[in-house]
Amino acid sequence: MSTELPESYGPPPEGQPSPPSRRTFIATTTAVGGAVVAGGGLAAGAFPFTAEEADAVEAAPSGRVSLTVNGERHTAEIDNRTSLLDLLREQFGLPGTKKGCNAGACGACTVLVDGRRVNSCLTLAVRLDGAEVTSIEGLADGDELHPLQRAFVEQDAFQCGFCTPGQIMSGVGCIEEGHTGSHEEIREWMSGNICRCGCYVKIVRAVEQTARGK
Amino acid sequence: MSPQPQAAVGAPLSRVDGRLKVTGKARYAVDHEIAGAVHAVIVDSSIGRGRITGIDTRAALDHAGVLKVISHVNAPKLPYQRNPLPTAPPGERLHVFQDDKVHFHGQPVAVVVATTLEAAQHGASLVKVTYDAQQPSTDMADAPAGEPQKYARGDTDKALEVAAVRMEMTYDLARNNHNAMEPHATTARWDGDKLTVWDKTQWVFGTQIELAVVFGVAPESVRVISPFVGGGFGSGLRAWPHVTIAALAARETKRPVKLALSRKQLYFGTGFRPTYEYAVRLGSDRRGRLTAMTHDVRAETSSYETFLESVLIPGQMLYSMPHVSQEYRTVPLDVHTPLFMRGPGYTTASYAIESAMDELADKLGLDPIELRLRNEPEEDESSGLPFSTRRLRECYAVGAREFGWHRRNPGPRSTRDGDWLIGTGMAAGVYDTARNDAQASVRLDADGTALVQSAASDMGPGTYTSNTQLAADALGLPMGKVTFRLGDSLMPPAPPHGGSWTMASVGSAVQDGCDKLRKQAVKLAVEDAKSPLHGVNPDTVVVRAGRLHVKHNPARGETYQQLLARNNRTHLEAMGSFTRPTGPERHSLFAYGAVFTEVAVDARLGLVRVRRMLGVYDAGRIISPKLADSQALGGMVGGIGQALLEHTVTDHRDGRIVNANLADYLVPVNADVPDLRAIYLDGDDRDADPIGVKGLGEIVQVGVAPAIANAVFHATGRRIRELPITTEALL
Repeated sequence: MSTELPESYGPPPEGQPSPPSRRTFIATTTAVGGAVVAGGGLAAGAFPFTAEEADAVEAAPSGRVSLTVNGERHTAEIDNRTSLLDLLREQFGLPGTKKGCNAGACGACTVLVDGRRVNSCLTLAVRLDGAEVTSIEGLADGDELHPLQRAFVEQDAFQCGFCTPGQIMSGVGCIEEGHTGSHEEIREWMSGNICRCGCYVKIVRAVEQTARGK
Repeated sequence: MSPQPQAAVGAPLSRVDGRLKVTGKARYAVDHEIAGAVHAVIVDSSIGRGRITGIDTRAALDHAGVLKVISHVNAPKLPYQRNPLPTAPPGERLHVFQDDKVHFHGQPVAVVVATTLEAAQHGASLVKVTYDAQQPSTDMADAPAGEPQKYARGDTDKALEVAAVRMEMTYDLARNNHNAMEPHATTARWDGDKLTVWDKTQWVFGTQIELAVVFGVAPESVRVISPFVGGGFGSGLRAWPHVTIAALAARETKRPVKLALSRKQLYFGTGFRPTYEYAVRLGSDRRGRLTAMTHDVRAETSSYETFLESVLIPGQMLYSMPHVSQEYRTVPLDVHTPLFMRGPGYTTASYAIESAMDELADKLGLDPIELRLRNEPEEDESSGLPFSTRRLRECYAVGAREFGWHRRNPGPRSTRDGDWLIGTGMAAGVYDTARNDAQASVRLDADGTALVQSAASDMGPGTYTSNTQLAADALGLPMGKVTFRLGDSLMPPAPPHGGSWTMASVGSAVQDGCDKLRKQAVKLAVEDAKSPLHGVNPDTVVVRAGRLHVKHNPARGETYQQLLARNNRTHLEAMGSFTRPTGPERHSLFAYGAVFTEVAVDARLGLVRVRRMLGVYDAGRIISPKLADSQALGGMVGGIGQALLEHTVTDHRDGRIVNANLADYLVPVNADVPDLRAIYLDGDDRDADPIGVKGLGEIVQVGVAPAIANAVFHATGRRIRELPITTEALL
């Protein structure tokens, strides 16, 4: 994608790490799941390709996966690079789950896999054969909102609404795990979900209200 | 003022779009299902300045699914006509893929379009770009500044010379990025020479005009749709290069294209609050009455555009003093262009001024509130105008009472709780009340439901809800019978969704349109021989729950449905408008606030934790109290980030932003935020606009950072004159 740093820059100052080589760069982005453009599909953690290997890829390897999403069984041939997040959004027509960072740092993509909350951006879809996935679209019972969805509306626990699906799925997980003993505990266990509008006080209230009502 | 009873306005109602947002059905820029859409991923420059010497696209084009790679090598020449909008900063914007020049690290150098997102991402990683790199200049400390903007009154030098108390401080503020949760994204589709884009924007007209002039087509040929915006904080106030790239990619591939920036790309693909250096000299008498203040301000901008914001205003009007002198310089660097970020200019200035006031209070042994009261002006000394409303004294009084300010031990480093040093601090906030021309269409159908539309935006404050509340009351309908729509350039025009003026501008247009429509219906009734209201004085008729009746005789009346059905009318229509008063202002219009906070600082580790915070605001009439409360708490959270966490770090060796992600650019998370409280003083401001509001979005962040900085000083006795206040600085 790019050249190495030109030599005219000279060596980095003492004590600074050297610029990463392409190999270490890719390994790093794979490990932290960062750099969408640089790492490309690799960001989802597929294979630590070297540049040469990556260049050699003709067609994307794929796998056949059967999984249940919001109670509905899907069988699909999936590009191995596809994250659960992109599978839901781009192939299953479920754009309610959001891509905030694609690196597991913001929680906007949180869904439940087999009842546990996960960052769907860091979860490779091909690994989910037989899994049961619940996304925000599958939480309400028809027109009847889940108690936490209702609590979010009542408490006004959101503004722009973009992080909200992830917050709610994470909140469902948090309540299920029993991490709701105090405001401090809820704050701690809801800290994987960033809300840039700053609705944390009300998110805590909504989670608490729902946990108490259980 | 409307004679209508107030039912929805002022009531703590939930968001009308709440259900859509909690069920995942609110559609953001790349959530719309567009048949045949393909995906685009931008390739970013890996040098900070220089020239592209080659672009090898063979590997990318060989990759399965890749349709096209566009760069300056094969992109068509785009007209790039001048953008006529007054919001465009002076200079010349970046022209994408038009030449081989690189102006900043991360500049778009190519775009890869592919049938799947995976292929586009992988394809982008296979584009090999070679450069002739030069050393970029990205450090404001080492670069020359341009000509200053100036303001002066009195003779500051002389006043400082004779002042009994003189102080001189320099405050540094780090670059901040908006980092809204929704990454900027655009879906673009051409139908012949008509372009439709679904864009993340705070101004559909801004995107429409920019695309029209870039592609040389008529504005009417461009439709921009943006029903939901996943946060903005200012970054959506201009159409960034990726919007053009999405439209270009769609035109070149003849396919609808979805283009979402990655989180990393937001740091160089969209704006930021610039790095500032703000130097203050002040003089006062021994009782703390200010006599003079100088403000020397430097801020970064790009090499190709000059970004300016209202950083000088607070220094001219917040406190009374005869002598003021200000110089504001921008420093052109090899970076991209900044943009307004929540409380633009004012948060920066208030940090410097309110820190300086705290330093003066400490030097004189005065209570910080008492010092501010001694310098409270009687009029706006920058203009000589009377204040429309300025209730800062009340903000201090209510805040001090509710916060328990009188329990404070005034001495720095005087309170401990185990390992933690405890401090309290306060600061004033101010933000100007601006408003702009807006229109809103109103339609009442024969079934008794109403549709109100304006091409406004709702990035989170609740434009949908608050305007529904206004319309419901003005039309005399229950909330459930009124639908407010926004975010489409086909709708009546609205100003940019920023500067805290949406409620004042769009709300006043909605009020006007609904008043007109209601009066139309009343006129129809009183002139209709078959109406029970026939012959009644129209001024005595009100509408409640969809029924028109004589105000003091509710039995005499009829419903909208009955009236329209009998008159064979399918609907009634009206166009509401608000026009910003022309000519000189007769009042000085500002919203005010006072922020109080308590922090704990670990005596050995230097960790700062905010323990509680209270904001008290003089912001005029509050249309939607539940949402206004959320907005205030959100502003405090933004301020906590600015004060303690947020810092975009550039490696000056190559101009690369090194923490362009949410793991290294820290924003407040849930565990960083204690219980927060906001109080809005009851009242309204009819000099500001017909509905009496003064704007909320900005004022709620102004003053938060200095209140925290002042509390850190009170806790530790250490004055940190830079933001963010880090553990390292306190060790």
